[in-house]
Amino acid sequence: MDLSVWTEVAPHVPVLLRGLLVNIQLLLGLISLGLVVGVVTALIEVYAPRPVGIVAGAYTWFFRGVPEIVLLFLFYFGLSQFGVPVSAFFAAVLALGLRSSAYQAQIFRGAFQSIPHGQMMAARALGLGRLRAIVHVVLPQALRLSLAGWSNEFSSVLKDTTLAWGIGVVEIMRQASYIRARNFTLTLPIYVTVALMFLVLTYVGNLAIGLAERKLRVPGLEGQR
Amino acid sequence: MALLRVENLHKRYGHEEVLKGVTLAQDAGETKVVIGPSGTGKSTLLRCINRLTEPDQGRVWLEDTEITSRRTDINRVRAKIGFVFQDFNLFTHLTSLDNVRLGLMKVRGMPRAAATGRAMAELERVGLAAKANAYPAQLSGGQQQRVSIARALAMDPKLILFDEPTSALDPELIGEVLSVMIQLARDGMTMIVVTHEMGFARSVADEIVFMEGGVIVEQGTPDKMFRSPEVPRTGEFLRKISDLYGESR
Amino acid sequence: MKVVGVAVLMAVLLAGCLALGQPKYIVLSDIAWAPFEWVSEKGAYLGFDLDVMRAIAILEGFEIELRDTPFDSIIPAIIAGRGDIGASGFTITEERALVINFSEAYWDSNQAVVVRAGSGLDLDMVASPGRLVGAQRGTTGSFWIEDEWVPLGVTLVEYETYPEAILDLLAGRIDGIVQDVDPSKMAVLQYKGQIEIAGVVDTGEQFGFLVAKDDPKELLPRIHRGVATLKDLGVWDLLIEAYFGPSLGAIESAWEKCIDILLVDRDPLRYAQCLTAELRP
Repeated sequence: MDLSVWTEVAPHVPVLLRGLLVNIQLLLGLISLGLVVGVVTALIEVYAPRPVGIVAGAYTWFFRGVPEIVLLFLFYFGLSQFGVPVSAFFAAVLALGLRSSAYQAQIFRGAFQSIPHGQMMAARALGLGRLRAIVHVVLPQALRLSLAGWSNEFSSVLKDTTLAWGIGVVEIMRQASYIRARNFTLTLPIYVTVALMFLVLTYVGNLAIGLAERKLRVPGLEGQR
Repeated sequence: MALLRVENLHKRYGHEEVLKGVTLAQDAGETKVVIGPSGTGKSTLLRCINRLTEPDQGRVWLEDTEITSRRTDINRVRAKIGFVFQDFNLFTHLTSLDNVRLGLMKVRGMPRAAATGRAMAELERVGLAAKANAYPAQLSGGQQQRVSIARALAMDPKLILFDEPTSALDPELIGEVLSVMIQLARDGMTMIVVTHEMGFARSVADEIVFMEGGVIVEQGTPDKMFRSPEVPRTGEFLRKISDLYGESR
Repeated sequence: MKVVGVAVLMAVLLAGCLALGQPKYIVLSDIAWAPFEWVSEKGAYLGFDLDVMRAIAILEGFEIELRDTPFDSIIPAIIAGRGDIGASGFTITEERALVINFSEAYWDSNQAVVVRAGSGLDLDMVASPGRLVGAQRGTTGSFWIEDEWVPLGVTLVEYETYPEAILDLLAGRIDGIVQDVDPSKMAVLQYKGQIEIAGVVDTGEQFGFLVAKDDPKELLPRIHRGVATLKDLGVWDLLIEAYFGPSLGAIESAWEKCIDILLVDRDPLRYAQCLTAELRP
């Protein structure tokens, strides 16, 4: 690849960044959805009565077992069959977010289970109800323990956002294909640029999570990598 | 009327009946020490009193509230009964101060400033005001247990249940915890203490309860229990345990 | 007073007709297949298919919204009611016609076979045992290889995109690529001296626009009438001249200069004349 190619790539960088912004929006949407649903699912799996737990287990089994692109199609085309014409962006957040929730539930479930039973006992003995004991005692500990696993999930779903083009969300991969369609010779350099952008974003994201981890770190509660 | 009444408590785990009908009464200001071989249901008895373990049968009253009634709000009852665990169970993610403050703020609804004042006073009482900002992992076992006693005291309990509070401690750390407990007893706190510390039992207990095989074998003042037990098995156990743990403390 | 009232009323009605009176249809296209459809450097949607659809909409009095959609998703989207018209260089096939309806053919597309320049391969040599021939997945090229050449001993190598196939061809991992004639000519232009067309396979293949099965919105008659009008006016041939031949960059700047004539003045003929005038040397 000769150097002059890069001067051809340079003018396309803003367009790629505009695409990347869409990936970031997808990421924020899906990971927050995944976080909330994931924590609740994990709580149900660990603390709810067995039949409810089985339902939650089936939920994670489904969303972990079905390929992302199939989920995207199911949500985008499937929901409109039921008269819910969600936008491609929203369908992508929903499909990828719920999928992520299933993986996040696994991380949190492990963390919940690793909190010694005595913590719950002590909270209950103080007069805290079950839910409040979870919120004030179990959850803050479990979330700290989950951060390391969670940063893996972050890197993974960041890359998943590039699949959203499958249902027509114009994100960075699509912007790349626009450029490629006009200029076949830029195919490789454009994808190298996209790769670099993702590497930087992953690095920055993990750096932020690492900072949060350090800030929240408590002696005796170090998560394992 | 007794502060706490326990009537015919039964608890079974699978095939094994751990409590086979335990009845006792405790007056305000009284310190009761429960002794007996391991696995005779002492801890289960304590946990059944505030229903951390659900008894199968029998009733428990705190003053005129029946704890074992389904209609009772168990969280309100538990807020009035302190519980000190063998392995401390301090909240790992909280400092000493926050450990003591949590119940005040989240259960009693006390404002932060007032809760802080109260929590610091209790830490002072157990001699750990200087460690207010330390996390459990930064404290010795003895210090952790003292914080956990402060945590129980802060709630203004009518009664504190101690479940082998010194059994998990290195020998050199037992003294600091016992001296806090002795002071509490002298201040008139109502306490039920499951322990093997015979020195403590002898010097502080108003009554010693000897349990074995899920029943109370004999109970009485330390004087009676150590000097002239009615049941031969009591004397046998006390001699053995005193040989093992000593009673010089 | 009364006259003014009537005038205001009429003005409101007229505005209402312009803004609301026209039905709006969603046109789906995989806008990364120049020169039929692509996105300009400045982010505009252009290409032969798209300008034809815009012109038909103007002539037939409806509005369109262009929506960039992955090629494989266009038919499912139309089946699911998420789009009304597919305009994306769709080859008319019996399989597709089972689930959607095609317009009459608007384009004859034969398949070019591209090889490395100087490889000395001709059509027969590419279609012989042991050869590796690439094509874009799901396109007529790949179906052609599968049906006609694989029985001869050719191995089909599928790619997500045409450019990826070209990279592999240049790297020597495949011997040839089967792709529509026009994109192939464009690729040869861009990779000057590196690749060449070994020959053209007459597949008898044609492109059509597509709509939902049984055409519930009665779009096909309007599309047919629109195409006929464009041909009668001479717009059709001018658009072919503009889009098939010049470089994409030149088309983009001409398009930018002229597009308002189509979108604002709503005059397809003057627009097409403007385009070709801009592009003539």
